[in-house]
Amino acid sequence: MSTKKDEAKKSDKKIERVRIMGSLERAVDEIDRLLAGSTDEVEIDFSTCTFIAVEGLEWLEELLLRADSVKRTVRFVNVPPTIYKVFKISHIESLMKAAGGVSSTKLGPAC
Amino acid sequence: MTAISKEQEQILTERAHSLTRQARLSAAVFSQYSQAQVDRIVKAMTTCAIDNAARLARMAHEETRMGVTEDKVLKNLVASEFLYAQIKDKRTVGVIKELPELNMVEVAEPIGVILGLAPVTNPTSTVIFKSICCAKTRNSIIFSPHLMAAESSNLAAKLIYEAALEAGAPKGFITWVDKSSRLRRLSEILFAHPEVDLIFATGGTQMVRAAYSSGKPALGVGAGNTPVYVHKTANVPSAAMEIIISKTFDNGTECPSEQTLIIDREIVDELISEFRRCGCYICDEAEVEKIADAVIDARTGGMNYRLVGQPANLILEQAGIKVDRHIKMILCPLKGELRLHRLAVEKLMPVLGYVAVDSVEEGINRALDINYGGGTGHTAGIFCEDDGVIERYADAINAGRIIVNSPSSIGGLGGVYNHLNTTLSFGCGTGGGNITTDNVGIKNLLNYKRVPRRKNYVISFQTTKNIYSNPGSIEHLKSLKCKNAFVISSRSASRRGHLSMVKESLPEGCHVDVFSDIGTEPDFPTIQRAVQAMRLSKPDAIIALGGGSVLDAAKIIRLFYDYPELNVQELAVNFLDFHHRMVEFPKDMRTQLVAIPTTSGTGSEVTPFAVLKDGFRKVSMIDECMIPDVAIIDAQFTKSLPREITSDTAFDALTHALESLVSTFSSDYTDGLALEALRLIFEALPETLKNPGSILHRHKLHNAATLAGMAIGNASVGVNHALAHALGARFDIPHGRANGVFLLSTIEYNAQIPSKFVSIPCYPLWVADRKYARAAQFIGLKEEAQAVDSRPQVENPHFAMEGSRGQYDGMVLALRRAVYDLGRLAGQPLSVSELGIDPADYQAALPELVETAFSDMSVRSNPRYCLAPEILQLFQAAYAPRVRP
Ligand SMILES: [Fe+2]
Repeated sequence: MSTKKDEAKKSDKKIERVRIMGSLERAVDEIDRLLAGSTDEVEIDFSTCTFIAVEGLEWLEELLLRADSVKRTVRFVNVPPTIYKVFKISHIESLMKAAGGVSSTKLGPAC
Repeated sequence: MTAISKEQEQILTERAHSLTRQARLSAAVFSQYSQAQVDRIVKAMTTCAIDNAARLARMAHEETRMGVTEDKVLKNLVASEFLYAQIKDKRTVGVIKELPELNMVEVAEPIGVILGLAPVTNPTSTVIFKSICCAKTRNSIIFSPHLMAAESSNLAAKLIYEAALEAGAPKGFITWVDKSSRLRRLSEILFAHPEVDLIFATGGTQMVRAAYSSGKPALGVGAGNTPVYVHKTANVPSAAMEIIISKTFDNGTECPSEQTLIIDREIVDELISEFRRCGCYICDEAEVEKIADAVIDARTGGMNYRLVGQPANLILEQAGIKVDRHIKMILCPLKGELRLHRLAVEKLMPVLGYVAVDSVEEGINRALDINYGGGTGHTAGIFCEDDGVIERYADAINAGRIIVNSPSSIGGLGGVYNHLNTTLSFGCGTGGGNITTDNVGIKNLLNYKRVPRRKNYVISFQTTKNIYSNPGSIEHLKSLKCKNAFVISSRSASRRGHLSMVKESLPEGCHVDVFSDIGTEPDFPTIQRAVQAMRLSKPDAIIALGGGSVLDAAKIIRLFYDYPELNVQELAVNFLDFHHRMVEFPKDMRTQLVAIPTTSGTGSEVTPFAVLKDGFRKVSMIDECMIPDVAIIDAQFTKSLPREITSDTAFDALTHALESLVSTFSSDYTDGLALEALRLIFEALPETLKNPGSILHRHKLHNAATLAGMAIGNASVGVNHALAHALGARFDIPHGRANGVFLLSTIEYNAQIPSKFVSIPCYPLWVADRKYARAAQFIGLKEEAQAVDSRPQVENPHFAMEGSRGQYDGMVLALRRAVYDLGRLAGQPLSVSELGIDPADYQAALPELVETAFSDMSVRSNPRYCLAPEILQLFQAAYAPRVRP
């Protein structure tokens, strides 16, 4: 796995975008560092992410928890369907939220 | 059981969350795996299971003190090696099945998180089996082992999981509940846990019941009680050996194993001696009671669980029967009423009951006693060389697997003695309270997503094979291969000289009989009289000479003459789709039918339709076999037609052309015919009316009717005909005239975007408006600017969707004006009031008219779905005298 960093400044907020390249199998130090620094918002770009391992899911969930506790925003962008489906099946509310989706565990109308 | 404190309950709940969370994440990650990745993992797991088969078998035996180690090794190998051979090439990822003939594929979707139960009788083989099946199907599994076998079950899970992980499986896809005094409670929490998607239960009835009562989807197994019928044709020594192999396998712990033998009396002595010779113990009556006392729990009436999987010698000892040699198996003759015998139940130990029977019937009935005595849906066996008996047995016995001429226990496992799916989970169907009778396996651990493509819709076109057209084409009759002709006509045929024209044109020496009794609305008694007359005449050709009703009648007369056994009611059953109707007509006709139309209207000479009056209703018969063999389109037969009939019938043909053009069944083939028919009518009808003796224009009109007939013969008609049929029947209006009064309304109605589209696969796009426009263009009309400039031109606002305005409105208006002008020129009534129908009578008849039109088959091919209120509006809109649109 490797990452590619883009920086974008919108208004006075400091937004950083990091792209996941290939498999996400463990913590991405660079993102952990960004969250610990002065960045307001981190956008994780999944467009080139090809696989997420259990460890990757666990890290993402933990990352979102950490971001929440320091009042920072982490957003998932450009999530391909195979990865989005992994989020759906995982039933982890925070992942769905970060990906801009709705929870997959809520029961809808049945027929 | 000791009570569990709140605190302990909290710990267990957290443990359940942790297990299901691991499984859930793993299932999510598994969804990304390819078939190749999955197959690599499955191979590694199988290798590990084979390597550890003996170790795990030994451990299971030591922990449970049940069964036979050597047999448990075999079970572990069945659950790995044999299973692998069956599933290694199976597709379980992505598209798993292609069904080209159905234009459909099946795509696999994993189940998700599975809670797997492992029983005390097969603690390691079940874990091996379920783990491999779950990996193959990309599911994660949490094992809930039996308390008395938890260590061996969990070791099996751990070993095989580590091998899977090594091969790339997602972390945590196999987990297990650790052995503890709270194991049972934790399993209960898991049963109800929202993150468990499916319970894969194998084990005691209690566990299976708990699985089902969790309210989750569950794959359960039922209790067994296997009857085995040994028929007199069986190979006795071989049957004896195979039954011993089976019943002693793992000391009888396999639930498909034999429980009661039903033996034909002719061979009972031979079989029992063979058992004795091979080392079995045959009890006498008193000993049977002792065995029953030992192996049956008097409190429950079921087997004594302490003796499950125990060796025969130990059981004999417990029963107080002294034996000083090794015994393989204990046989107990079951005397008296079998259903009430204490030993006629499942005994998972080497104790086997038997009865003698005097016939196949009695054999099957006694087998049913055992089968329905606690083992419904599970397993049965038969040793027999008579396929007829095997079939009768299989038909009667309710069992998911009926094992023939082989051990029922190892046979039931599948893959060793037969090609059943390898399993350790025996579905028992509804007889055992299960959803399936399968040998449960990978097939049951997937969701199947079916992806059906649209059906290929084949367009066919049929019409009369030989058509002779031109004035004077009646001459063709001379070359007809026929020695005995039977002419069907109306009474007027003779008067108008038509009959003699036909008679003179027939081959020399051809005998002719005539049936001229066909009225305007032929009924079935008339048909029967005609058929009767034909029976005496024995013709080889039928010549139908007349208008639509004569031609229709002739088609039906031929059908019943050729096939007297047919039933008119059965042939007239309504249908939605011509291709799927339930009625079956004969494939071919024996007597040739020549149709000579004397009006230019119905086109019946080339259609597969025939209408018959049946009491107060009309029945339609439609089939390819009704199409005449020859049509002679000779305008000499129409030249003396009165003006009114000429115009009425031309308006029928005009309606045919317009309705077939926009029909949902229309095709390029019928469109061409419909358009040319329209053109000919618009050209030739005014000329014919101006100059009734003009054979040239009569001929064009005659051709137009036949062309339009070919079009409706393949594309059918529409709502206009439904309205006309209803009105005609109620007020006795000739068919063509009834059609004419609705045309202006139905074109307007069909040209508007439907309030409800028609759901017919052959009509993927609503195009009625542009087809009317094409018709207008084809007959040389110019777009009416008025419509384009000043909408709405819709006379009946009910027909249009609000604000709808179509790009073809101008051309549709031009077409309606042309129809109006043609009608006025011909003096054709264009509204119901112009027919002289009293408004009050019409108003009173409306409910009946709507009802009749709504159920008319013609509406089925209309391009706009005809809602009942719209049909009412169409009837109402057609009343007032027409003004030019
Ligand atoms: Fe008609």
